[in-house]
Amino acid sequence: MRRTVLLSSLAVLALVVAFSVFLGTRQPVTDATDVTSPLLGRVAPAFAGTELDGTHWSLRHDRGHVVVVNFWASWCGPCQVEAPNLSTFAWQERHAGVDVIGVVFNDTLSAANAFAAHYGSLYPSILDPGGAIANRYGVESPPTTFVINAQGRVVVTLVGAVRLSQLESVLRRVRA
Amino acid sequence: MILTWLGRSFLYVSFAGALGGILFQLRALRTSKPSHAKVFAALALLGVLGAVGVMQYALVTHDFALAYVAENNATFTPLLYSITGMWSALEGSLLLWSLLLAAITLGVLLYYRREATDAVVGWAAVVLFGVGAFFTALMMFPADPFLANPAHVLQGQGPNALLQDNPLVAAHPPLLYLGFVGFTVPFAFAIAMLVTGRVHERWPLEQRRWTVLAWGALSVGIILGAWWSYQVLGWGGFWGWDPVENAALLPWLTGTAYIHSVIVQDRRGLFRVWNLSLAIATFALTVLGTFFTRSGVLESVHSFSSSTLGPLLIGLFFFTVALGVGLLAWRGDALRSAVGVDQPLSREGLFVANNILFVGFAVVVLLGTVFPLLYEAVNGTQVTVGTPYFATIAAPLSVALLALMAIAPLVSWRSASATVLWNRLRPIAWASVALVALLVLVGVRHRAVLVAVFFAAAAAGAALRTLGGVVVAARRRGRLLGALRAPSTGGMVVHLGIVVLAVGIVVSTSYTQRSEVTLASGQSTVVDSQLVSFAGFHVVKDPLETATQLVVSVDGNALRPAVTTFNGRATTVGTPAIDSNLLRDVYVTFDAVGGNGTTSGAQVQNNLPAGSVVLGVTVEPLLAWLWIGGLLVGVGAGVSFLRRRYVEDRPS
Repeated sequence: MRRTVLLSSLAVLALVVAFSVFLGTRQPVTDATDVTSPLLGRVAPAFAGTELDGTHWSLRHDRGHVVVVNFWASWCGPCQVEAPNLSTFAWQERHAGVDVIGVVFNDTLSAANAFAAHYGSLYPSILDPGGAIANRYGVESPPTTFVINAQGRVVVTLVGAVRLSQLESVLRRVRA
Repeated sequence: MILTWLGRSFLYVSFAGALGGILFQLRALRTSKPSHAKVFAALALLGVLGAVGVMQYALVTHDFALAYVAENNATFTPLLYSITGMWSALEGSLLLWSLLLAAITLGVLLYYRREATDAVVGWAAVVLFGVGAFFTALMMFPADPFLANPAHVLQGQGPNALLQDNPLVAAHPPLLYLGFVGFTVPFAFAIAMLVTGRVHERWPLEQRRWTVLAWGALSVGIILGAWWSYQVLGWGGFWGWDPVENAALLPWLTGTAYIHSVIVQDRRGLFRVWNLSLAIATFALTVLGTFFTRSGVLESVHSFSSSTLGPLLIGLFFFTVALGVGLLAWRGDALRSAVGVDQPLSREGLFVANNILFVGFAVVVLLGTVFPLLYEAVNGTQVTVGTPYFATIAAPLSVALLALMAIAPLVSWRSASATVLWNRLRPIAWASVALVALLVLVGVRHRAVLVAVFFAAAAAGAALRTLGGVVVAARRRGRLLGALRAPSTGGMVVHLGIVVLAVGIVVSTSYTQRSEVTLASGQSTVVDSQLVSFAGFHVVKDPLETATQLVVSVDGNALRPAVTTFNGRATTVGTPAIDSNLLRDVYVTFDAVGGNGTTSGAQVQNNLPAGSVVLGVTVEPLLAWLWIGGLLVGVGAGVSFLRRRYVEDRPS
C-alpha cells in the first residue's frame, strides 16, 4: 500500500514537474515565423476560385502586383487575431500595387462569410473546395501567408498570425 | 507622485498583514498562544481597501499621474467604465483579486472564530495568508499598479474598446474572480486537514456552503461572459473554446465534481482522498487558468494583457500541486476508507460516474487547451484546436451528464433495487418519450435536438419529482417555506437551470440560420420568416465615441445595429442589435455599406449602390433560454448557499 502510494505520487509529481517546466519556458506568442518552404524563390502555383460573394478570382490577373496570399479559417484563433491586421494592410496598400487574397481553409461557406463580415474583411477571399490550393502551396494549418513578388515568385512564407508591422517590413523587403 | 507613494504604502501594509498573519499563526500553532489572525486579516484587508481606494480615486478623477490610469482611462470615460477600469488590465485585476481574497480570509476567520485555536483552522489561515501574500507581492514587484507616469498625458487612452462597450464589464469579471478566489477556501482546508492528519473530520462538508458560493459565482460569471460575447462579438455565438474561456471552465468542471462528491463523504464517509485531491486540483486549475490568461503564451481573443507573470504563476501552480501530492502521499495510509461502494447502482455509484465524467471532461479540455503549445514545441508552428475537437467530445459527455441527472436523484443510497428505480422513473421516461414523439410529429428531425430533449426532459422530471417530495414533506410539517431551505432544493433548482441551458444551447446552435441581405434605404425583405426593413442611417457623436447606427426594424421592433469608433483608440467595434423573445433571437449586424459612404468604421463595398447596406441577419431559436437557465443556476446556487445547516454540521 505505502509503496503504491509513494510510486503513484512520484509519477504524478514527475508529470507535474515536466508540465510546469514546459509551460514556464514557453514564450509569449509573437509575430508569425518566417519559415523556409520549398516554394521560396519559385514561381507561385497558379490558382483561381470563387470569392465569398460569388465572383471569380484568378492569380493570373494580378501579375505585376505584389500578392499576399493568406490561408485562413473561421475556426482558427490566430486567424481572428491577424484578420484586422490583414484588412488594415490591404486598405493601406490598395493603390500601391499590392493585392491581398484570402483562401478559405477547410471551412464552411456560412462560417467563412460570418467571419469575413465580423472582422470587416477588406480583401477578397476565395473558396478552396477539397483543399486543392492549400495542397499546392503545402499549407498544413492556417494561418499561413505567402508573399508573391511582382515577378510572380514566392518570396516569403509566414506561419502564424501576422502583424501589421511585419507585413510592412516584408513589403519593404520585397520591393527593395 | 503622491498617489504612487500612497498606493504602494497601502500594498506594503497589506503584505505586512498577510506576512504577520503567517508568522504569528505558525507560532500559535507551535505554542498554542493566541494568533491574532483576525487582526492581521483585518490589517491585510484594510491595506488592499486603501490601495483600491487610491486606484479608484485616480480612475474616477482621471488622474494620469499613474501610468495604469493613463493607459486604461481617458478624460471622457464615463463613471461606470472608470470604476470598471480597475479590472481592464492586469495590474488592476490583481487589486480586485487581492481585495476579494483578503475579504474572504477575514470572513473565514470570523466565521470560525469559536474554533480559532483549532489546528485545522490555524493551518487553513496560514494557507490563505500565504496565497494572499503571493498576490500582493506580485503587485509590489512585477505588476505594480501604482507605477508613476513620467509623461504628461492630457487625455488618456480609455479602456480597451471592448471593455467600454457593455455594462456587463461591471459584473462578469468580478463574479469570475469571486469564483476563482472562493476556491482558495476548500483548498486551504484540504491542506490544513492533510497537515494535521485530521482527514476524517467533517470540514469539507462544513465548507460546502462556501464552495457552493464560489461555484455559483463562477457559473454565473461564465454565463454572463457568454452573454457579453454574444452581445458584442458580432457572430451570434456565445462560446468559442478560447483558451481563456477554457481557463474558467476547467475549475468549474472539477469544482462541480467536488460539490457532488462531497455529498458522498457526508453520507457514506467515502472518497476522502478523492475530495481532498479535487479541492487541491480545483485551486491549482484556477492558478493555471490565470497563467493561461496572463502569460500570453496562447493565442486568445481575450488578449487584454500579456505580462511577465507567467513563470511566477506557473511556479505557484507547481508548488500547489507538489504540496498537495506530497501531503496526500504522506497521509496516504490514514486516508483509506474502511468501506467501499457496495453496488454500482446506488446513489454513490452514480456519483462516481458523475465524477469520472466531469474530471474526464476537464482532462479533455485541458489537453485541447495545451495541445497548441505541445504542437508548437515539436513542429515550431502554433495551431489551434478548433471547436470541432471540443464539440465532438463535449456533446456526448453532456448527454451522459443529463442522463445521470435524470437517474441519480431517484436512486437510493447504498443499494437500489432496479424495480423501485423503474417505478420512479417510468412516468418520467414515458413523458419524455411522449415529448420527443410530439416534436417528431411537428417536424423536428434534428437527431441531436431529439436526443438532448429526451434526456433533458427526463432530468427535469427527476429534479421536479425531488422538489415535489421536498414540498410535500414541508407541507406535512406545516412549514411550506421550510422547503426552500431543505438540503436538496438548491441543487435541484440548479439541475433545472442546467436542463434549460442545455436545451437552449442545443436548439439554438442546431437551428441557426445565417444570411446576409443587401438593402437600400426604405427596402424590406423576409429572412427566415422575419420581416427585416432598413430605414436609413443615424450618426451619433459624443465625446466618447462616434457611432454610425442603422435604423432597422425586425417584425416591427426597432433595432439599431451600429459600428462604433472610440475616441483615443484606433479599434472599431461593431455593435450588433438583437431582437429577442422567448421563441427566437434575431441578431442583426451592420456588415458593410455601399459606395463611398462617409460612415465611420463600416466596411465599404464599392460594387454596391451608394446608400445601401449589407446586413448580417442571424436567427437563433430559443436562445434566450440560455440566459434564463443561467439565472436559474444562480438562483439555485443562492438557495443552496442559504440552505439549512445540518445539526451536526459544526465539527465538535
